[in-house]
Amino acid sequence: MRILKPAECWTPKLRVRSFGNNNMAALCKGARRFKRIIFCHSLVRGFSGKYEYDIVVIGGGSGGLACAKEAAQYGKKVAVLDYVDPSPKGTKWGLGGTCVNVGCIPKKLMHQSALLGGALKDAAKYGWNVPHQPSHCWATMSLAVQNYVKSLNWGHRVQLQDRKVKYFNLKGQLTDGHTVIGTNKSGKETVLTTQDIVIATGSRPKYPVHVSLTRAVAQYLFLFFSEIQWSVDYDHPLHPFPHLLISGCLHPGWIIRNPNTPHFFCQHPQVPGAVEHGISSDDIFWMKESPGKTLVVGASYVGLECAGFLTGIGLDVTVLVRSLALRGFDQQMAGLVTEHMDSHGTKFLWRRVPRKVEKLPSGSLQVTWVETSSDREEQDTFDTVLWAVGRAPVTRALNLDAAGVKLDEDTGKIIVSANEETSVPHVFAMGDVAKGRPELTPPSIRAGRLLARRLAGVSTEIMDYDNVPTTVFTPLEYSCVGLSEAEARRLYREGGIEVYHAFYKPLEFAVAQRDSSQCYIKAVCLRDGDQRILGLHFTGPNAGEVMQGFALGVRCGATYSHLMNTVGIHPTCAEELTKLHISKRSGLDATVTGC
Amino acid sequence: MRIVSLCRGTKGGAAIGRPVSASYKVLLLGRTMASISAVTRFDFLVIGGGSGGLAGARRAAELGAKTAVIEGKKLGGTCVNVGCVPKKVMWNTAVHAEYLHDHEDYGFEGSHTKFNWQTIKSKRDAYVKRLNNIYQSNLDRAKIESIHGHAVFTNDAEPTVMVNGKRYTAPHILIATGGRPSIVSDSEVPGANLGITSDGMCAPYTSLPMLISDDVLPPHIIVGMCAPYTSLPTLISDDVLPPHIIVGMCAPYTSLPMLISDDVLPLPHCCLLLIDSPPLLLPQGVKQDQRKHIVADEFQNTSRPGIYALGDVCGKALLTPVAIAAGRKLAHRLFEGKQDSKLEYRNIPTVVFSHPPIGTVGLTEAEAIKAHGKENVKIYTTAFTPMYYAMTARKSQCVMKLVCVGREEKVVGLHMQGPGCDEMLQGFAVAVQMGATKADFDRTVAIHPTSAEELVTMR
Repeated sequence: MRILKPAECWTPKLRVRSFGNNNMAALCKGARRFKRIIFCHSLVRGFSGKYEYDIVVIGGGSGGLACAKEAAQYGKKVAVLDYVDPSPKGTKWGLGGTCVNVGCIPKKLMHQSALLGGALKDAAKYGWNVPHQPSHCWATMSLAVQNYVKSLNWGHRVQLQDRKVKYFNLKGQLTDGHTVIGTNKSGKETVLTTQDIVIATGSRPKYPVHVSLTRAVAQYLFLFFSEIQWSVDYDHPLHPFPHLLISGCLHPGWIIRNPNTPHFFCQHPQVPGAVEHGISSDDIFWMKESPGKTLVVGASYVGLECAGFLTGIGLDVTVLVRSLALRGFDQQMAGLVTEHMDSHGTKFLWRRVPRKVEKLPSGSLQVTWVETSSDREEQDTFDTVLWAVGRAPVTRALNLDAAGVKLDEDTGKIIVSANEETSVPHVFAMGDVAKGRPELTPPSIRAGRLLARRLAGVSTEIMDYDNVPTTVFTPLEYSCVGLSEAEARRLYREGGIEVYHAFYKPLEFAVAQRDSSQCYIKAVCLRDGDQRILGLHFTGPNAGEVMQGFALGVRCGATYSHLMNTVGIHPTCAEELTKLHISKRSGLDATVTGC
Repeated sequence: MRIVSLCRGTKGGAAIGRPVSASYKVLLLGRTMASISAVTRFDFLVIGGGSGGLAGARRAAELGAKTAVIEGKKLGGTCVNVGCVPKKVMWNTAVHAEYLHDHEDYGFEGSHTKFNWQTIKSKRDAYVKRLNNIYQSNLDRAKIESIHGHAVFTNDAEPTVMVNGKRYTAPHILIATGGRPSIVSDSEVPGANLGITSDGMCAPYTSLPMLISDDVLPPHIIVGMCAPYTSLPTLISDDVLPPHIIVGMCAPYTSLPMLISDDVLPLPHCCLLLIDSPPLLLPQGVKQDQRKHIVADEFQNTSRPGIYALGDVCGKALLTPVAIAAGRKLAHRLFEGKQDSKLEYRNIPTVVFSHPPIGTVGLTEAEAIKAHGKENVKIYTTAFTPMYYAMTARKSQCVMKLVCVGREEKVVGLHMQGPGCDEMLQGFAVAVQMGATKADFDRTVAIHPTSAEELVTMR
């Protein structure tokens, strides 16, 4: 193990190896001095080309681990630093990042559990005599989910070990483009020098927290927002104060509703009680007890997926929506998804912004919110309040200012070039923490692998972030690839596109007599020439499994006639994509009849 | 459902046929007598109201052809009545049995279930009935004549069909009569007559509940018995498939008794014998092969001009979407003048609704080696346990195989078995048809967490 520890003795072996480090003994004399020296020495090392590691990856999530493992496979000496700050509720987890611990994996398993609940209702129609509707036990499910997640944590550890990647449970911090300081739980520091640094620290859920601002800051905010007043929204961060956004996940939409009102801070307070009494997606999967009656704030895909599976296992769930559901997705499809959830028992309260959360003596939470058009105040009590109001990149602890790594002012994310390089040479960033990258596991994994290959000098291929398919695992799953209809209209004008669509009935719904009015397919194509497909959208069972192959087709440049010339697979839902023949502008009924 | 057989040879004919009044009966009688000598003419006459026939007829009618469909039984053919649709309904029923095993693992308590054959049978039949009606109204809406009865070709010089004593002709006659299950004779397999066929399975059979209950036969076997797909044995013979599926495939029927007598399948009360479906209709002057399939070229032409055949009756790619596509392509060729309109019979994706389902498109490994040489074929495989089973005591594998050819590693075959493979295949079939290479697969971003993503992350 060759870790430089400032407080420890210097081994002769290292002294010989790092021949430029001859006055490293000074390291013991305090962190400030130490950093300065490191800075000087980084120059020296820059010429000598000698580092402990070839690559140090900060963040052991999907992207970081993929990058580390791939680089190690090409013979690079790699270290991974991973450290999970507990959530405000105290939830923490192991190696693997958001996807494994508090994202894709547990959410899909719980989604699956909810689907089974729906299947039980259908089973009766399929001839299975279910004597009484079974009840759902949260503890059984969450224990099974947690055990599986823990097995994945372990699996990642083993994989790193197998590939000789050094793993540190340390919080990483940059001092320059070649040095990372890792801090452990008790504050002890470890210094690692490296040729390249890869930042893949991901993102964490935002809370609508109170941030006290001085009057000067408030006025500055006022100036800024008065220019763009009503366009301030959920996703709009505090432009002049990225550090506020990062530190407090400040949410302008909640603080400043009407910037022309001089007393806007008093009139529109943040949400007191949000952190003390609320939870986020970081906590929900690790709860030992059922969340009970739940209020989900925000209709992002995280919010809708959580609301969907909680409803599916029989809980009373309300979603508080400020304006749009599934922002950034095709809004017609988003409408179908929420309509389906609504018809299956999830309650939606639109145009509401939360005002406060209070704990009642009974232990339940009283939430107060405002109906934005009438300014009417409403309230209800819940057992759990889940914030799903967006995610903020994890950059605060990285000390990026000191290293000179530039952040995007709007998003607080790290500015990267097409090859994932930051403003500092040899420092790369990828995944959720990098600006403009999709917040999804598979693109991060692929970007990580490609970056590793470039760093290892075996390839020059850069990641292509176009046509990334994704699936929202709401009770009625929604999957898409490419452009939304609105985006396509904007890019190619109204007359430039042709939209083929169909309302279809999955066979599995027919016998179960389930309503299929939200099962819908839309292919957005160019109108002229061979009608290249710009976007595909699908709601229905197994949407993710359906879309993957079509995403490959779209990547290969599939056209509408390619779809038509492929023989269908009967009877499946996926075959409906090869049978699309009604164009939206024809105005004809798009309901599929018969085989 | 009764379809009053009336021709619409004259302009006034369209109004006839709904209210049964005295004058109507007289008219009907008069017409019947007249039709003994007269021949009713159409632009397009379709024999067989199944997937292919109906699709062709509807497309032809859309293109302005005066069209009639002759069907002796229920509209919709094999697919709707005794094939894909009821098959998949039963498959879904059995999928529920799988779910029931997993409910407790997913936190649902107290689901002790029994199975009621009558419930699913009546629901299934009601659904099929609904589809029959949809097909009828589709025909009516498209102003296509429905002729109810059994068609027989006459000896006239001009191709003519006789139904219920009446004669019909058209410059273009399409034979799309489909197939029926082959019956294994007692001399081939002693006791074979004790079995039923898929037609019996899906139609009025009521003695199956014994069979589907868990202790006699695990439900996953029962619906797996289908698919006269000749290239499947190759796929299965790779050591990837669990044995109960092989029992389900039963392609070479001679080995079936042996398989059944194995302890895999303990004494079934009823055994499904499903092998192949030779055609029934025997038109004059139309060539057939040794297996009595009608010989048709790639444009669906038979050996007699003006007579076409498609679908199961030709014995090639016995699949509903194939017949539908062929029917539509033919209609475009005949009535829209698209001379090169024909169905591409390569890369037809197929799913076998076994448990778990099998999906396959393109060449098998053996076919690819035969066509391109062993040195030019590269195989990628993967096997994994889908995440669904992370929570369950019951486990099932998903296996996948890509068959690639040449230096550019063009994907010529894709084969898989596992939960979800049925819905996964379609999009990949588009890509294989487009000539996608392994590099294209690699460049496609995965959808996480799905099983399908394994196909684009194979290494």
